[in-house]
Amino acid sequence: MSMSEVTEPQFSVDATQLSRFHGGTDAPIWWGIVGLILIEMSVVAAFVISYFYLVMVNPTWPPEGQPASELLWPTVSMVLLLVSCVTMYLAGKSVNRDRVTAFVIYTWASVALATVVLVIRWLQFQTFDFSWNDHVYGSLVWTISGFHFLHVVSAATGTSVVALLGMKKFFNSKQRIGVVVDTLYWNFVALAWIPFYLILYWAPRMTQTAGG
Amino acid sequence: MHKSPTYDQTPEATAPLSQTWQSPPGFVSWFTHVNQRQIGYRFVVTSLIFFALAGVLALIMRLQLIAPENTLLGADFYNQLFTMHGTTMMFFFAVPAMEGLGIYLVPLMIGTRDMSFPRLNAFGYYVYLIAGVSLFVALFLGMAPAAGWFSYVPLANIAFSPGKGMDFWTSMITFIEISALAAAVELIVTILKQRAPGMTLNRMPLFVWSILVMSFMILFAMPTVMAGSVLLALDRAFDMQFFVASGGGDPLLWQHLFWFFGHPEVYIIMVPALGIISTVIATFTRKPVFGYTALVLALVATGFVSFGLWVHHMFTTGLPHLGLSFFTAAGAMIAIPSGVQVFCWIASLWGTRIRFATPMLFVLGFFAIFIIGGLTGVMVASIPFDTQVHDSYFVVAHLHYVLIGGAVFPFFAGLYYWYPKMTGRLMSERLGKWSFALIFIGTNLTFFPMHQLGLEGMPRRIYTYLEGMGWGDLNFAITLAAFVLAAGFLLTLINAVISRTRGAEAGDNPWQADTLEWAATSPPQNYNFRHLPVVNSRHPLWDEADLTRRQYVKGLRADRRELLVTTLLEAQPQSVLIMPGPSIWPFLLALVVGFGFLGFMFQPLLFVVGFALSFFAITGWLWPRKPWISTKEN
Ligand code: HEM
Repeated sequence: MSMSEVTEPQFSVDATQLSRFHGGTDAPIWWGIVGLILIEMSVVAAFVISYFYLVMVNPTWPPEGQPASELLWPTVSMVLLLVSCVTMYLAGKSVNRDRVTAFVIYTWASVALATVVLVIRWLQFQTFDFSWNDHVYGSLVWTISGFHFLHVVSAATGTSVVALLGMKKFFNSKQRIGVVVDTLYWNFVALAWIPFYLILYWAPRMTQTAGG
Repeated sequence: MHKSPTYDQTPEATAPLSQTWQSPPGFVSWFTHVNQRQIGYRFVVTSLIFFALAGVLALIMRLQLIAPENTLLGADFYNQLFTMHGTTMMFFFAVPAMEGLGIYLVPLMIGTRDMSFPRLNAFGYYVYLIAGVSLFVALFLGMAPAAGWFSYVPLANIAFSPGKGMDFWTSMITFIEISALAAAVELIVTILKQRAPGMTLNRMPLFVWSILVMSFMILFAMPTVMAGSVLLALDRAFDMQFFVASGGGDPLLWQHLFWFFGHPEVYIIMVPALGIISTVIATFTRKPVFGYTALVLALVATGFVSFGLWVHHMFTTGLPHLGLSFFTAAGAMIAIPSGVQVFCWIASLWGTRIRFATPMLFVLGFFAIFIIGGLTGVMVASIPFDTQVHDSYFVVAHLHYVLIGGAVFPFFAGLYYWYPKMTGRLMSERLGKWSFALIFIGTNLTFFPMHQLGLEGMPRRIYTYLEGMGWGDLNFAITLAAFVLAAGFLLTLINAVISRTRGAEAGDNPWQADTLEWAATSPPQNYNFRHLPVVNSRHPLWDEADLTRRQYVKGLRADRRELLVTTLLEAQPQSVLIMPGPSIWPFLLALVVGFGFLGFMFQPLLFVVGFALSFFAITGWLWPRKPWISTKEN
C-alpha cells in the first residue's frame, strides 16, 4: 500500500509557519560551505605537510645561496587580511540591523583591502629571484603563492557580487544567508594566509639559523 | 487552512506537485535534470558501463597471459591496459557506484524530496562522465597512461613517461575528485539537515550511516590525492621539482600523498558495502540487525583507523623502525571494528529463517570471499611476509579478493535489492541465482590460483613470461576461469535489461523491508513522497505497519519545490528550503571546466580560458531567483 492510498493521514508536523529564510546553521548552504572549507583545509594541510617533508629531506633549506625572503610586505598583507575579516564582520552586523548603506560600504571596504593585498602580492611575485623550476623550494613558493592568490581573487569576486546585490537592496535582516556564507568563506581565505605566511616567510629563517 | 493543494488527496491534486518536481522530457532537457533520483540512477548505470569496460580490458590482459611468450599484446599496451583497468575499477566504477546508490537512496531513506544542492549533483555527474569518457578516448588513441593505477614517480615523471598518457591521468584524476567531493558534501549535508522529523541520528538506517561515514572519508582523503595529482601535473607541465630528486624534490612524497588517500580509498569503497550488507540481512531475516549501536561505532571506527594505514603500502621503502611498528599496530587495529561487525552479523543470522533470495546470496558470497581476502591481508600486513611477496601475483590475488568481495558482491546485492524500487519491476530470481553461482565460482577459480603463482615468484605487471618458469598451466586455467566470471556478470546485465520491461511488477515493498524508501511507490513519483513522513522508530515500516498510525508533515507548498530542514541531532523541524529547478548551467559549467583541464595538457594557457569561461557559467547558475519575494508569503 502506498502513502497516496492513505485516506486519513495524520499530520503531526505543520510546515506552514516555518521560515522560508535562513540565517546560518539552519541553512543547508551554510553546511555546504563548511564542507568546502574542510576540503580546502585538507588541501592546505597537504601543502604544509609536503613543505615540511621536503624541508626534512633537504640538507640545506632554503637552497644554497638563497636568502630567506623579506618580511615586511607579507606581514602587511597579513594585517590587511585580518582587518578585512573585521570589516566583513561589521558588514554582517549591519545587514542584521537592516542598515543597508553601511553594509554596502563595509563590503566594498573588504573588497578594497583584498585588492590591495593582491597588488602587493603581484608586485612581490616580480621580485622572486628564483623560478619555479630552479629547485623544489622555488616550486613550493610559487605554487603556494599562486594557490592563495587565486583564492583571494575568487573571494574578492564573490564578495563584489554580494556588494552589488546589496546596492540593489537584495539583502536585509531576513534575506541574508548569502552574506553569511560569503563571510564564512572570506574568513577561511584570509586566515589561510597565516599558515602560508609562516611557512613561506618564517620557516626558511628558522631552518637557516638552525642549519648554521 | 485546508485549501492548500498539499492536503488534498484526489489524484488531480497530486498533479501540481508532480508538475513542480518534474524533470522535463526530451533530449535537450535531459541535460537540465537535477532531481536526485535521475542523477543517482545515471551514476549507477554509468558506473556499471565503466565496470564492463574495465572488465573487458581485464579479459584482454588474461588472453595475453594465457600462454607463455604470447604475442597478442606488446609490453607498452599491456601497461596501458592494467593501468586503465585499475584506474577505471577504482575511480570510475567502485566509488561512483557507491555514491550513485547513496544519491538515489539516501533522500528516500530519510524521507525527503531531493538533495540539498541538486544542481551541484548534476554538475558532479557530468564531471564524472567527461573524465571517464576522456580517459577511454585516450586509450583508443593509444595515449593512455601506463604507470599503474597509483602512478608512482619517478616512473610517472616527465623524464620517464614523456607521452600525453600521464597528463590524461593527472588531469582526469583531479577532475573526477571534484565529482567525488561534490557528491560527498552533498550527501553529508542532506543526511545531517534533511532527515524526516523524528529521525534522530540514533534512528538513522545503517545504510545512511555508512554513506555518511564514506562521505566524510572522501572529504578528508580525496583532497590529498588531488593536491598530489596537481603537483604532479605542475611538475610535468612547468618543469617543477616536487618529485624530481635532482631539484631537491622527493619521489617518496608522491607515495605518501597517494597512499594517504589510497588506503582509505579501499575503505571508502567498503564502508557503504557494509551498510548494504546490514540492510539486506535485516530484510531477509525479517528482524532488526543485532547490535545497531555497535555496528554504527564500528563503521565510524573503520573510517578513523583506515587513515592510519597508508604506510602499509610502503613497507619495502625503508621507513624508520618505530614508524613501521606503529603502522603494523594500526593494521591490526582495523581488525577490531571488522570483528565487531562480523559478530553482529552472525548474531543477526543466528536462529532466523533466512530467505535465500539473490541479494542475500550475494551477501553470503561476500562473507566467503572477504574472509579469504582478509586472511591474506593479515599475511601481507606482517612485514617479513610482505617483503617476500611484494609486487607478486600474491598481491594481485589479495587485492581482488578484497575488492571483489568487499565491493562487487555487496554492490550486486544492493543492485538486486533496490532494482525493484528504481524500476518498479523485480529482476528474475532464476537468472540471478545462476549469475551468482557463476560469479562466485568464477572469482575463486580466477583468483585463488594466483596466490600460488605469487608464491612461485610470478611478478605482477608483466606482459609475458618464459616457458621454462612453469607458470603456463595455472595461467591457462586462470584465463578460462576469468571467462566464467565474465559470463556471470553478463547474466546479471542481461537480467537487468530484460527485467526492465518484462520483470514482475514489484509493488511498493516487495521484500517487506523496514526503511522509508519502501514507503514510496516503485519507481517513486517525481516528488518521492506524497507527504513527507514523520518518524517515530528505527524501523518505521515494521513498527507502523498499521497505516493509520503513520504520521506526516503538512504545509509544504505544491507550486514550488519545497522541502523540510530539520535539526542535526534530533531532527526537529527547523525551516523550509526552496529548491532550484532544472537548469542547463551545471552541464555547461562541467563542459568549460573539462575544457580547461583537457586543454591544459596541450597548452597551459587554455586552463586560464576555462577558468574565465567558468565564471560566466557560475554566474548563470547562481543568477538570483527570488521566488519568496514574488509570492505573497506573509
Ligand atoms: C572482473 C574480473 C576481473 C579480472 C579478470 C581482473 C583481472 C586483472 C588483471 C589481469 C590485472 C593485471 C595484473 C597484473 O598484470 O599485474 C588486474 C589488476 C588490477 N585490478 Fe583487476 N580484475 C577484475 C576485477 C577487478 C575489480 C572489480 C577491481 C576493483 C574494484 C579490480 C582492480 C584492479 C587493480 C587496482 C589492479 C592493479 C592495477 C595496477 O597494477 O596498476 N579488478 N586485474
